Amino acid sequence: MTSTAQELHPAPMLEPGRTILELNGLEKRYPGTHALKPVHLAFKAGEIHAIVGENGAGKSTLIKLLTGVMPRTSGEVIWEGKPTALATPHEAMALGINAVHQEVVLCRHLTVAANMFLGEEESRFGLLQQRAMVKDAQKIIDGLGFDLPAHVMLGDLTIGQQQLIAAARATVRGTKFLIFDEPTAYLTRKEADQLFKLIRRLKGEGVTIIYISHRMEEVFELADRVSVLRDGTLVGTRNIAKTDEPELVKLMINRSIEQIYHKEHFTPGATIVETRNLSGKGFENVSVTVRAGEIVGLYGLIGAGRSEFVTTLYGRHRKSAGQILWQGKEVQVNSEHDAIRLGMALAPESRRDQGLCLNLPVGINLNLPIYKRISSNFLISGAKEKAEADRQIADLRIKTPTRHALASSLSGGNQQKIVIGKWLAHGAKLFIFDEPTVGVDVGTKAEIYRLFSTLLSKGAGIILISSYLPEVYELADTLHVFRRGKLVATHGFRTASHEDILGQALAEKQEKSGGQK
Amino acid sequence: MSTEAIPAEKPKRNFNALFGLTLLGLLLLMWIVLAVATPSFATTLNITNLLRQGSLIAILAVGQTFVIITGGIDLSVGAVVGFTTVIVALLINAGWPIWAAVLITLLVGVAIGLFHGFGIVKMGLPPFIITLATMTSLRGIGLLMTNGNSISINSDSFQAFSRGSLAGIPYLFWMVILVAIPSYVFLHHTRWGRYLFSVGSNAEAARLSGVNVPRTIFMAYVLSGLLAAIVGVLLASRIGIGNPTQGDTYELQAIASSVIGGTSLFGAIGSVHGPLIGSFILSTINNGANLLNVNTFWQRVITGLLIIVIVYFDGLRRRGK
Repeated sequence: MTSTAQELHPAPMLEPGRTILELNGLEKRYPGTHALKPVHLAFKAGEIHAIVGENGAGKSTLIKLLTGVMPRTSGEVIWEGKPTALATPHEAMALGINAVHQEVVLCRHLTVAANMFLGEEESRFGLLQQRAMVKDAQKIIDGLGFDLPAHVMLGDLTIGQQQLIAAARATVRGTKFLIFDEPTAYLTRKEADQLFKLIRRLKGEGVTIIYISHRMEEVFELADRVSVLRDGTLVGTRNIAKTDEPELVKLMINRSIEQIYHKEHFTPGATIVETRNLSGKGFENVSVTVRAGEIVGLYGLIGAGRSEFVTTLYGRHRKSAGQILWQGKEVQVNSEHDAIRLGMALAPESRRDQGLCLNLPVGINLNLPIYKRISSNFLISGAKEKAEADRQIADLRIKTPTRHALASSLSGGNQQKIVIGKWLAHGAKLFIFDEPTVGVDVGTKAEIYRLFSTLLSKGAGIILISSYLPEVYELADTLHVFRRGKLVATHGFRTASHEDILGQALAEKQEKSGGQK
Repeated sequence: MSTEAIPAEKPKRNFNALFGLTLLGLLLLMWIVLAVATPSFATTLNITNLLRQGSLIAILAVGQTFVIITGGIDLSVGAVVGFTTVIVALLINAGWPIWAAVLITLLVGVAIGLFHGFGIVKMGLPPFIITLATMTSLRGIGLLMTNGNSISINSDSFQAFSRGSLAGIPYLFWMVILVAIPSYVFLHHTRWGRYLFSVGSNAEAARLSGVNVPRTIFMAYVLSGLLAAIVGVLLASRIGIGNPTQGDTYELQAIASSVIGGTSLFGAIGSVHGPLIGSFILSTINNGANLLNVNTFWQRVITGLLIIVIVYFDGLRRRGK
């Protein structure tokens, strides 16, 4: 690390392998729930310790306790041999415990440098040393091997780049114990690789890393040990070399891996939608056909034009060329309203920004697309509103006390079920799922996949966008690969290898090919 | 992605009801205290006067609440009130029948609302800016039209309305009820009411769910403009003149009433009964301070402090303490 970073890194590191933090019966109860049952666990200095578990298994609670965001109910926390209260975030930071969250919690309207030094600005005579801070920040960023400028506004970077900055920021504060909460959820593969490099480097410096992720391949790529939480209970800790994915999944959900990807094949029916050389902002010349009873997968890196393609199909953006045929007839889709009237439904990529009205009740969220249908003579039928919402909650097993609970109070997986569930009552013919399982646990994933089959069996067609290859690979009847706004390859169900598909999505120098099979 | 803190909704609902009750309780408590403390409070004259005073702001506050629920704000309503007193006065003095004059005035209010919708939806201006601009300009246009003078309305029957009462309750207060009931039904029992909330909560999610977001925004500002024009007509009837400087700071009182009544300035939270009670709390403070001979300058200070206290406790209650 650079000299600047070392100056900011004053705390002496514990010798690798010794116990840095020990949890002795750590426990958390909320009124009505036992969020974390007594946990006994010792973290070793310099290890990468993965924590996996379904949503609601207690991972968030554990992080909040470790970072002092909320107090524990009982139990002992021993830091470097001494019991500690760990009652406030400030106390945690003073010890050297920091966290990088899935959603970047930095100031978008400040520069990268200002964010890196936020709270610890360099100043002389009370005046900010802006130029010096940009220089130092740049040194740190370069030292970490990130190709990012320090003087630009944070908000001008992609979410993935912001995440890297958040990680870089956490490394310059005398951090000994760093928690990553689903850091790669919004990262491209390249950004994720940079992040992994950073994490390994920190490990080399003796920092203890807690790595929380739903992505098994990352856990196996990075971690030394892995702990599994289920329903608030620590069900096991394994050496990564002595375990495998099926065992972890089994520990997590008490169910085997084959039961997750639930694929039923239906005979494709009539064509629901067809695009002919559709072009728009971010993609060009895309021809895709979706028939009743089939899943069409769109695979590619984030920014490859998949989301732009479907949002244009959905009328959110204007097409610049090409045609959309709905059940054989050419249509103009000028707004979401048009799309919905035709029979399209979109479960967008970002639950928080696009999918949900978080501070409204679950019931209103579920009924939003169908209020017209459940109203008569201007008035909403209270009985129908209740019946529809309660039916979706029951069918999708959405974990909520009642339909009146606010959407924000639900876990990620359950929120995702609302985003999907609101279209079920609407009776759409074409369902577009954009990254439906980001940040969703294995159990909920399996439920969502089973839901796909239900939709297909009713004669619907599905467009499935995913950056997680196994997902589209195991589910899509037709798999289109996108790269840089173009459809570069098309495969049938399991007809190509993972490597080929990855290569097609990544390759920079392959010959230009259009949208042919 | 926190999974904790899933308080059952039932207690929350009770909180809401409790909160409505608490505000109503506060209002009743103020009335009881004033009735005991001053001989002149609990007189028919004073009560009808209080109801008349509170009515105008109450109607404005309902319109303001529609706008605030969408996450917007309407700073123009005070100016619209002043401007529409001029319009209705000019029309009546020009010999138009009262019903026609009133109808046209209300259409002017609708037009102003449409203009706001246009500025926000089509021009992409923030609600604060477009309504601030209208607030300034409308007063200017009114002053230009009247040359800065007040216009006496020469129609006794028009003015008689504001003085009249039915079943012992002033017509002006009946107007509040006439506005409140359809507003309540609209906000809580029609899909457009739901759409207002959804737009205020997350416009993008609402749009992707098929809600016509631009139309919903237009609707909120048109309703606010229309209700402001109604208040303009009522005020003109009450004071018997048209004057563009009337209704000064009404917009702030309407916003304060709405916020006291539990509306969130961040959008997506609000009701009809809350702002109504809020506006009568404000009027009672003014009325009571007058009766208790509190210096009018102090009245302003006290009103400000009470807004802080009431909204602070509202926040505490919402956080479930």
